[in-house]
Amino acid sequence: MSDTAKPEPRPAPESVLFWEAARRHKLELPQCSACGKHWFPPTRACPHCLSADFAWSEVSGRGEVFSFVIYDRVYHPAFADEVPYVVALIELAEGPRMISGITGIAPDDVRCGMKVRAVFDDRPGGASVPVFAPA
Amino acid sequence: MIEPSRDLRDICAIAGAGTSRLGRAPGVSSLDLLVEAARNAVADSGIHPREIDGIICRGPDDIYSHHQMIGERLGINARFSTTVANGGASQILSVALAVMAIRHGLATTVLCGYGRDAWSRTHSSEETRVRNETRPDSQLASEFGPEHGYYGAAAAHALGAMRHMHLYGTTKEHFGRIAVDFREHALRNPDAQMKKPLTMEEYRAQRSIVRPFGLYDCSLRSDAAGAMIVTSAARARDLKQPPVLIKGFGTHNNLRGWTADDNMIVTAAKQSGEAAYRMAGLGSGDIDTAQIYDCFTYMVLAQLEDYGFCKKGEGGPFVASGALRLDGALPTNTSGGQLSEAHAEGVLQIVEGVRQLRHTYPAGRQVKDAEIALISGHGGNQVCHSTLILGRDR
Ligand SMILES: [Zn+2]
Repeated sequence: MSDTAKPEPRPAPESVLFWEAARRHKLELPQCSACGKHWFPPTRACPHCLSADFAWSEVSGRGEVFSFVIYDRVYHPAFADEVPYVVALIELAEGPRMISGITGIAPDDVRCGMKVRAVFDDRPGGASVPVFAPA
Repeated sequence: MIEPSRDLRDICAIAGAGTSRLGRAPGVSSLDLLVEAARNAVADSGIHPREIDGIICRGPDDIYSHHQMIGERLGINARFSTTVANGGASQILSVALAVMAIRHGLATTVLCGYGRDAWSRTHSSEETRVRNETRPDSQLASEFGPEHGYYGAAAAHALGAMRHMHLYGTTKEHFGRIAVDFREHALRNPDAQMKKPLTMEEYRAQRSIVRPFGLYDCSLRSDAAGAMIVTSAARARDLKQPPVLIKGFGTHNNLRGWTADDNMIVTAAKQSGEAAYRMAGLGSGDIDTAQIYDCFTYMVLAQLEDYGFCKKGEGGPFVASGALRLDGALPTNTSGGQLSEAHAEGVLQIVEGVRQLRHTYPAGRQVKDAEIALISGHGGNQVCHSTLILGRDR
């Protein structure tokens, strides 16, 4: 067993609300009040139209695997018991893409284009981390 | 329409090029490696060091105002001097800035270069060996990655490789062909870090790192530096070496991000290459040898497509045809590249391009009748790109 905890997210000021929502098991992203688009990672101006008028809004958590990799090498001791594990680039139904983990499926069975849904991994340190499972 | 940048075509040349020792140089700093390469470039050109009035270089990310330290060590006061920070795209960008500075009278003779101590940095103690990270802590992500175990440059590039395999049926064997061919080139290069042959069987049996990449898909950790002297073509013709003309360059930066849009598949090499071809008045069919930024095998394959050497999606069959070999359709990374010669973030690719165009290599190392070389630089967070097209003087 590895006795090292997985790294807790250390939020930038712009993403504090993302992690607060995640603790409530909600996937929330900034959504532009001017053009209506979502973006990720969180920043304080819309990268589509540069409006600074936005609100945090819950998204569906639905998406698909745009691409993924399978870690065989241990880069951090906390993941020593996890290898092989998947890190995926998820394209959310609302458009933004995010790096995340994949759960509930064997790494060798993950495919590009696979439909997924967000689930929440409650970590011992108090953070809840959105990851994705087959839809 | 006349391409504005064509005014810069052939007005400058690389008059000198040099490298440091390559591979493992414990106890030698990245600054000292670059000084070693710069001294060799100056000697190669035959120019007096006092003629150098420009320094454009890239330093390791944790050295502030790197060019000042290089100038101090070389005893040079520069009229034009800066450190550039575009990752592996920096070295060609430095040459491009040098041409523009010379064109507009800001300098006459510019030293460009880069040095790194990545092998020593990651092997100096048990702690650094385990960590194996060349970037300073300030550059590492604090969220949206580490909590998922997303670490290292290999994984970011592997995302592109996996998607390319999904879209086009590209195979591990295709990536392997790149690693095997470049290793074969390294065996012809006495300075190369890697000395042992690599077979496809060994490639197939390699230790997996982050799938689809294994050990041999990843470039080397090296202590290495390279440097070039850029001056006017007219001045270069009076110097020791046959001038190698700077015919074209281009840059492009997909700053919306590696994972945005289609950037993992159609990289910034596409627009960067098109700009360089326009400036040079040349196309992919004119290129006799390519020195491609090979941080990972997949990046070679993607760039070959983006530069128009084959169609998008056909990079796999293209490399499988043997095109990259010394006697192939497009001899590529003829020094062994960053996968097998040494990794100095693209500067050694420029040096190799220059040397191939001088026609001074022995048979078995020389690309026959090479007149035009294309060199690429790629980096930052996988989104910055630069292209250099060099040619023999007529
Ligand atoms: Zn907007």
